Amino acid sequence: MSAIEVTNIHKTFQTKRKAAGLRASTRALFKPEYSTVDAVRKLSFQMEAGEVLGFIGPNGAGKSTTIKMLTGILHPTDGEAKVLGYVPWKERQKLAFHIGTVFGQRPQLWYHLPAIDTFTLFGKIYELDDRETQKRIDFLCEAFEIRDLLETPVRKLSLGQRMRCEVAASLLHRPKLILLDEPSIGLDVVAKQHIRDAIRRMNQEEGVGVLLTSHDAGDLEALCKRVIIVNHGQIVYEDKVSNLKRKHLTTKLVEVRYAQEVPADFHLDGVEILKVGRYGVKLRFDTNQTPVDTVMSHLSNVGELVDITISDPPLEEVIAKVYKEGPA
Amino acid sequence: MRKYFAVFTMQIINNLAYPGDFLGRSISIGIFLFIFAGLWKTTFTIAGTDSINGLTFANMMWYLMMAETIELGRPRINRIISEQVKNGEVAYILSKPYNFVLYHFSFGLGDGVMRIIVNLIVGLGVTWILAGPPPTALGWAMALVTMIFAWILHFCMMALIGLAAFLVEETNSFELIYQKLVFILGGMLLPLDMFPVWLQQIARLLPFPYMMYAPARLFVKPDFDLFWQMLAGQLIWVGILVFALSVAYRGSEKMLTVNGG
Repeated sequence: MSAIEVTNIHKTFQTKRKAAGLRASTRALFKPEYSTVDAVRKLSFQMEAGEVLGFIGPNGAGKSTTIKMLTGILHPTDGEAKVLGYVPWKERQKLAFHIGTVFGQRPQLWYHLPAIDTFTLFGKIYELDDRETQKRIDFLCEAFEIRDLLETPVRKLSLGQRMRCEVAASLLHRPKLILLDEPSIGLDVVAKQHIRDAIRRMNQEEGVGVLLTSHDAGDLEALCKRVIIVNHGQIVYEDKVSNLKRKHLTTKLVEVRYAQEVPADFHLDGVEILKVGRYGVKLRFDTNQTPVDTVMSHLSNVGELVDITISDPPLEEVIAKVYKEGPA
Repeated sequence: MRKYFAVFTMQIINNLAYPGDFLGRSISIGIFLFIFAGLWKTTFTIAGTDSINGLTFANMMWYLMMAETIELGRPRINRIISEQVKNGEVAYILSKPYNFVLYHFSFGLGDGVMRIIVNLIVGLGVTWILAGPPPTALGWAMALVTMIFAWILHFCMMALIGLAAFLVEETNSFELIYQKLVFILGGMLLPLDMFPVWLQQIARLLPFPYMMYAPARLFVKPDFDLFWQMLAGQLIWVGILVFALSVAYRGSEKMLTVNGG
């Protein structure tokens, strides 16, 4: 059974428009001008139970709006959706028992109280019995390494520590699906790694489905098998992460160092030379146009190689390229 | 019900997180009472009488104490809802399995109970010093019963104003108008007994006296006839406002736009 089925979902917002300055403000009072913004345009996709699906796109692409419709908070202008068999905006409360949500930019833990208080409150809200809640808290403490943090007021936790507690809190009622809206926003590398490890573990051990929005390609690489890239409210790309890499990660960056000086007129056909130093060269090429083998043999013909580094461009660049190319 | 009770206790715990701030806020009731004691004393002296429209200086002071306690203890739910709509936190509140309005009721009650208890203690002490001993046990009983319904009425009004935040985001101005209506027609500034009869009659057709005048007046001059009248009025208005609130909630749910993200 699919965890999420979305068909042609559409959301239009009306926003008041107003030019700068006092005069325009006065005019807007009497004659407001509205402009409509299509935040999400006829979006359709599916997600299987237990899948980890990445929902990637730049700011304002419609990721959060989609998540909010899937949790039933926003009513779509048009289209249909089913989440775990429920129509979210019609059966929000029933659905709420089976999903967890984290909106990375806002806290759900009570700010002035230790996280443990929110955890026990959530236990009651989700109608778990106290013993079950306690057992679950113990388990989550271990999975998210938060045992030492639980009794500190949330406001005194670091962002990374808080986010681990936030995600753990959203898993308290053993949801079948969690919707994470930018869970790694603002975190440092180590904190991101922590969160990703814990999410991956929960997915593997409990089979909880994860729909994750992010504009960090690292989240994608670390967690998701499949990715949907959205821009301007539309899907511009949908495929496995491995395919995304294979199809779009076709450029290679190569750095070589030679034992002797490099000739100043160093040049190779089909290869872009980025930099020529005294002993080293930096170059870039597209594997579809110039085979790796050809480049390598050329490079070794030039002289005695001392060192060589081959790297892929960061996934961010790849995604940016997909944005520009538009809908596939 | 267990979950709503949990939210209620959670908000009490939350209030206890900053006891200093919490107690500090209760100083204001002492200041109000002190100022009004001076005002009323002068008024009674100039008028050269012990009672105005049946109310003595001590009556006026205890009336004011009860009215202030209710005013300071009424829920501020509209501010919380508009804050949550503005910063997007409403997304969490709505994505949990509870009723949005009942959640806010429990939350507001947690605040209200704490404030009312502290204000009653401070108010009792200050008024006792300024105006002599408090009213009888019957007065306390009638005040406490009508106070519960007064609080519910306040909640409904504030929640209705709060739901407007789903549309307009900022609701302070509505609250201000509402507050002034309670000040005057609710009999907060002056007991309704001081008004001309025609104005008293108009006021009694509105919900405001049942939110403020009822408990405060019954407190200082307990009277069974008035008690039943006021209780009946309160129940009718609770019915009307609860109905209005449920209609408004269903309507505004669809209008919500969540900021940010």
